[in-house]
Amino acid sequence: MTWLRLVRAELRKLTSTKLPWAFLAILAFISGITATAVIFGTDMDGSKAFISTAGDQKSLMAFASNALMGAGLFGAIAVAREYGHGTVVPTFLTEPRRYRAVLAQFTAVGLVGALLGLVGAALTIAAVAASLPTTEYGFMVSAGGVAQISAAAAFAASAGAVLGAGIGALIRNTGGAVAAAVVVLIITPPLIVQLANEAASWVPDTLTKVTSGVANDVGLGAALAAIAAWAFVPAVIGLLAVQRRDVV
Amino acid sequence: MASIDAGRRTAPVGERTPDRAGHELEIEHVTKRYGHNVVVDDLSFRVRPGRVTGFLGPNGAGKSTLMKILLDLASADRGRTTIGGMRYRDLRDPARTVGVVLEPNAFHPGRSARNHLRIIASGGGFPAERIDEMLWLVGLGDAADRRVGAYSLGMRQRLSLAAALLGDPPVLVLDEPGNGLDPQGIRDLRELLRARAANGHTIFVSSHLLSEVEHLADEVVVLNKGRLVASGSLAELQKEATFVRTPSAQTLTEVLEAAGAVVQPEERDALVVRGLPIDEIGERAHDAGIALHELAPHSGSLEDLFLDWTGAARTDSASETLKEVVSL
Repeated sequence: MTWLRLVRAELRKLTSTKLPWAFLAILAFISGITATAVIFGTDMDGSKAFISTAGDQKSLMAFASNALMGAGLFGAIAVAREYGHGTVVPTFLTEPRRYRAVLAQFTAVGLVGALLGLVGAALTIAAVAASLPTTEYGFMVSAGGVAQISAAAAFAASAGAVLGAGIGALIRNTGGAVAAAVVVLIITPPLIVQLANEAASWVPDTLTKVTSGVANDVGLGAALAAIAAWAFVPAVIGLLAVQRRDVV
Repeated sequence: MASIDAGRRTAPVGERTPDRAGHELEIEHVTKRYGHNVVVDDLSFRVRPGRVTGFLGPNGAGKSTLMKILLDLASADRGRTTIGGMRYRDLRDPARTVGVVLEPNAFHPGRSARNHLRIIASGGGFPAERIDEMLWLVGLGDAADRRVGAYSLGMRQRLSLAAALLGDPPVLVLDEPGNGLDPQGIRDLRELLRARAANGHTIFVSSHLLSEVEHLADEVVVLNKGRLVASGSLAELQKEATFVRTPSAQTLTEVLEAAGAVVQPEERDALVVRGLPIDEIGERAHDAGIALHELAPHSGSLEDLFLDWTGAARTDSASETLKEVVSL
């Protein structure tokens, strides 16, 4: 029960500041861009072929990659600011076994991340659905497809948030944590692909396409496991760092 | 703004109330280094329940570090600290056992005071009604929903105190709780802490407001450069000095300092001597053939004592540095 109390306290921390609302605003902005693309965007030949099939529409709505990156930044800020503001001290005083406190923190960040991913996917799907009537194409994605896109976004966002949280716990400075999250999520994957092309199937962008059902480079189970691994490694490093360090 | 209401009765804080009696805090041979810098050096002392113990020392003496070691926020390189015989991390319910004030600005500036306490109450499993009780207790009832970022330092200190009292703990560990408080707030804080000590609680409070500690503390522990320089009953410590009047002040100073005393010149022919019993001072003066016109116990202010305890070390250090420069 004590651990659940800690999770509840961490959820209160996250929901009692403007941070989730700021990210929600960003999600709304992204969905607005998607809608604008549907309404005004064209292919090179001036057609709207990019939304002409269910697969095209699914690709456009697949929000998981954005969700992973956005939630990564969210997690990094949410945890690093705890150290910056010193608000992690009451947490460690309540639960001196730090691994439990940090696990509660990561769980809460992962849950809020999942929610943000789900909302982001819902907004994007709604934006596409609402803007398609301005074109000659209807909404072609099945209910199952919509569910898969939403679930993939929630999962990716949850993993991204935990990844960011691990980086935040490790770096502890908000600016530094955001920069490190950008390096890990945005700069490193293309570099990995440049250095080892066969690794392209295992970078977050490809993996989230697989889980969203718009690519099949690897199996769904393998993609889910690989996304979890991207989150797991920084989370464990962050957890170990917090265990060993003084809170100063 | 309402004042801190020391006499106000508060509701019990839940079904799993641990031992409400105060616990003895024990510091045993604690050493802490940051790199080559020894911040706490083989420190040992006890803080007894039912007393207010002041924890004094100049800036950088190691007070905050020691408190963090006690609370398992920092690790000691050597030694151990216990609260009621247990390490902090082994306490059955630490949030209900120890109330803590450490950093005056450990808040998210965009969060309200009420939400800050809600978070702590959620984690500690305290009833929600305690939040309003504590906010009114520390005089923040009317400002509970304002952003903490808009609070003054004194209001933040009051909020820290509310957080520390949320679990009605039998032990309070407070680092500079009077910082930024107005005179009324300081008086209220003093009454609150004295009332809790009278109930058998353990109160361990660091402060650089010496006059305040003089009014508040039953006992003091004094650090300088990480080392213990004095500890014990404040009243006893204040009586440990001896006033000496002699026409040979300079010669007597040399004799007594050679015997390990700390000697402070007072007037032209008067000295205040610490670190030697009064009878030994008389005997050493007699052996040296020095006439004494007056020899009596001297009650100094805490400020005088503090400057003696900590100033002597600074003088030694300065002398060593000067010697090094001269030898170059």
